[in-house]
Amino acid sequence: MKSLSFSSRDIVCGLLFILVGLFFAMQAYGLELGTAFRMGPGYFPFVLAGILILLGIIVIIQGTQIEHEPMGPIAWRGMLFILPAPIFFGLTVRGLGFVPSLFLTALIAAFASTKMRPGMALLLVGGLTIFSVVVFSYALGLPFRRFGPWLGQ
Amino acid sequence: MELFNNLVLGFTTAGAPWNLFFCFVGVILGTLIGVLPGIGATATIAMLLPITFQLEPVSSLIMLAGIYYGAQYGGSTTAILINMPGESSSAVTAIDGYQMARKGRAGAALAIAAIGSFFAGTVSTILVAVFAPPLTAVALKFGSAEYFSLMIVGLVSSIALAHGSVVKALGMVVLGLLLGLVGTDIYTGTPRFNLGILELSDGLNFVAVAVGVFGIAEILRNLENEHDRDVMIKKVTNLWPTKQDWKEMTAPILRGTAIGSALGILPGGGAILASFASYTVEKRMSKTPQEFGKGAVAGVAGPESANNAGAQTSFIPMLTLGIPANPVMALMIGAMIIQGIVPGPNVATEQPALFWGIIASMWIGNLMLILLNLPLIGLWVKLLTIPYYMLFPAIIAFCSIGVYSVNSNVFDLYAVAFFGLIGYVLAKLRCEPAPLLLGFVLGPLLEEHLRRAMIMSRGDATTFVTRPISLTLLLLAAAVLVVVLLPSIRKKRDEVFVED
Amino acid sequence: MRNTIISLVATATFALASSTAFSQGYPERNITMVVPFAAGGPTDTVTRLVAETMSKDLGQQILVENVGGAGGTLGASQVAKAEPDGYTLLLHHIGMATSATLYRKLPYDTLNAFEYVGLVTDVPMTIVAKKDFEATDLKGLVEYVKANADKISLANAGIGAASHLCGMLFMNEIKVPLVTVPYKGTGPAMTDLLGGQVDLMCDQTTNTTKQIKGGTIKAYAVTSAKRLDALPDVPTVAEAGLPGMQVGIWHGIYAPKGTPAEVTQKLSASLQKALKDPNIIARFAELGTVPVTDDEATPAGLKAKLESEVARWKPIIEAAGQYAD
Repeated sequence: MKSLSFSSRDIVCGLLFILVGLFFAMQAYGLELGTAFRMGPGYFPFVLAGILILLGIIVIIQGTQIEHEPMGPIAWRGMLFILPAPIFFGLTVRGLGFVPSLFLTALIAAFASTKMRPGMALLLVGGLTIFSVVVFSYALGLPFRRFGPWLGQ
Repeated sequence: MELFNNLVLGFTTAGAPWNLFFCFVGVILGTLIGVLPGIGATATIAMLLPITFQLEPVSSLIMLAGIYYGAQYGGSTTAILINMPGESSSAVTAIDGYQMARKGRAGAALAIAAIGSFFAGTVSTILVAVFAPPLTAVALKFGSAEYFSLMIVGLVSSIALAHGSVVKALGMVVLGLLLGLVGTDIYTGTPRFNLGILELSDGLNFVAVAVGVFGIAEILRNLENEHDRDVMIKKVTNLWPTKQDWKEMTAPILRGTAIGSALGILPGGGAILASFASYTVEKRMSKTPQEFGKGAVAGVAGPESANNAGAQTSFIPMLTLGIPANPVMALMIGAMIIQGIVPGPNVATEQPALFWGIIASMWIGNLMLILLNLPLIGLWVKLLTIPYYMLFPAIIAFCSIGVYSVNSNVFDLYAVAFFGLIGYVLAKLRCEPAPLLLGFVLGPLLEEHLRRAMIMSRGDATTFVTRPISLTLLLLAAAVLVVVLLPSIRKKRDEVFVED
Repeated sequence: MRNTIISLVATATFALASSTAFSQGYPERNITMVVPFAAGGPTDTVTRLVAETMSKDLGQQILVENVGGAGGTLGASQVAKAEPDGYTLLLHHIGMATSATLYRKLPYDTLNAFEYVGLVTDVPMTIVAKKDFEATDLKGLVEYVKANADKISLANAGIGAASHLCGMLFMNEIKVPLVTVPYKGTGPAMTDLLGGQVDLMCDQTTNTTKQIKGGTIKAYAVTSAKRLDALPDVPTVAEAGLPGMQVGIWHGIYAPKGTPAEVTQKLSASLQKALKDPNIIARFAELGTVPVTDDEATPAGLKAKLESEVARWKPIIEAAGQYAD
């Protein structure tokens, strides 16, 4: 017999579908829906958003019928360091230039792991930067500025 | 015999030492760049395109074609090793290939992918040589109504991609479809769902979404609990496929080749479906569908063959019509134009050496790849023995460079971070990324063809059932749906889900 | 006209002389030329040909950077914001002028955000139809279209594309609104024209010449002032009775506002030299286009062109009522 406890996983998932569906539905409703001959930009997404909301409701209903499973640990430290790394690269690659920006990006990412020691990180990231500069900047000739205007060049 | 003479001409051209050299260089460059995480074939070609401008036209195109296959091999390698697909096709390979790698069977998975691709490459090269013109005529019969129906088949069968809940898989497809619509409506120029961000007016970048939901999310999952779970270093059991593997991969490779070759000739987006379609077919035909998603050999062999076959036959519309079937072909056409060859229906007669040389080089390139890649498997597998905490900073760095290099657009990097977060949340909720990506690539196509078909028929929806090809496809979709919804299969599925 | 040339040459010489004092030996490092479209497209092709030839003359490499997106406006706005030091340039086509009207919220002011280097080339368009289309000449085409307006579909490669502009111009000229079918790029549009799924299109010779020669589509007219060497049998729009259809996809090189005149003059002189390079002439000819004359490949030439084109397209786009944002 399946227990009747709610699966928090499915509730969250269903709610997520419903919320995203509502967002798209509202946005699409603001666009022109059009006719079958000349469908407007809102027509197709509006239908899809409706389907997504419906699926979200089904997921929640099913969630009440399935055994509960633990969510497991969450990678807070990972998120804290991994996710900002590409953002940092985006913010600095033009200003600082390719070399320093890549170095710092990889350095930030490296600290996502508890096993990483500072010395090791510097060594690893340094090697990685040299490799990337040789491959992407020199060998492939990508039009990156190696050192950017923020460094007075 | 004309074909024979043509092939001789082709192999003499492609076999000239200089051209062999460039084919080899292309294949190596493609593999090396493609193997960097987050960089797929399109990004690789875009990056390497300028290098080829200095060469003779034939050499340049042979090298570009080499880069293309090389990058696809390389892309599959990262999909298998670190769950990081750089193209929609390798997203499918990642599902079972990565699971095989986690079981210590990375070597076998890579070998299966290489062998499948080579076989598919050989067969489809012959197809291109023999049937290019008649196949083109078939492809031109596909109007928007037909494409729409084809996409419906793809969509219905996508449910098989998931090994968990059907409803969640459908939800992910729909979510993907919606994300694919972000950008500018091509019919009216109206911006949609872009939150007022100008960078979103051409939609979300595929590589950014794929790298985020697959790769970054996987890194985060691996960082959840570093002490209990040593990520990759499960003992590598064997580098080569076992006898059992060979038995399991033969039929999927044959079917995958057939599916990929057929879909690849359709310039309006057929090749996109190749690997997804093959995966669906294999899962349906398998006696052990519950193994799919947990490292099934057929789940690597079929899609990889289909993908490579589709990649080869997608040269058909380019070579016979001068029309690009995908972004890579568009880049190749650009390269031809820069080389002073304007691709069009007359290339085969005006430049026979070039035309047949490229076809011959396709096979030579595939041969080189398998010779190059089989010995490399040992090396790739060794990569996995590098401690994970040292590997992932490199993955992040290469992803950032790769994503940025395509359009020099920093916004794509923000999208990587955003979709990394989304992918992680979805993974925690047991929602799988593969159906989402399929939806993402199909979304714009589905809407585009639906609306265009309706415009062409002046609003008459019966156009989908009065056109014979379209009707056949819709019936096929209905058949797939019936199979999926058959109660017996539903039951099996639920068992699998509970087991999870 | 002759006076302008003389004065321009004089300015150029003066500029060159004074630049030795001002920006000594520009360029001293690599120059980035932004193309606001993806690699491999027709504009990218033009850019790479020009960049390569100008690199030889300037003694520094011109790197081509593809910044695609939003009909070219992303790349243009990036250059508008760049340092005005002559090391970031933009090569853009007619879209520079039309996006001023197509986009109501541009992040830059089209007419005031750039310095001008010069015009590069002017690619003509062709009015084409599917292979088995009834009409035999442009007059017949117009009559047929007028009689069967509700059955004809006119393809284009998306809002703001050359084929979209030309299609608007065509409907404007014959005063008949048609059902337009937008595609995502020229490739798919051409596929459907080849397959007979749509009837008409008006697109750049870059995309149509090979198909016309191959007999896979029918050509009715070219939109240039003179017939093209590549398509000698196709009449001009003026000959065929629609003189108002004369239009070209012109390309120009821009620099951020505030770039020293010495720099733009030097670049313009280099551009003029590049446009006389036999390789460029040959490649352009294969694309069905020719380099512009010396007096157009100048800052003044481009400025005049941009201003007149912004004014020309504004009413046409507004009449069509389709915007890209």
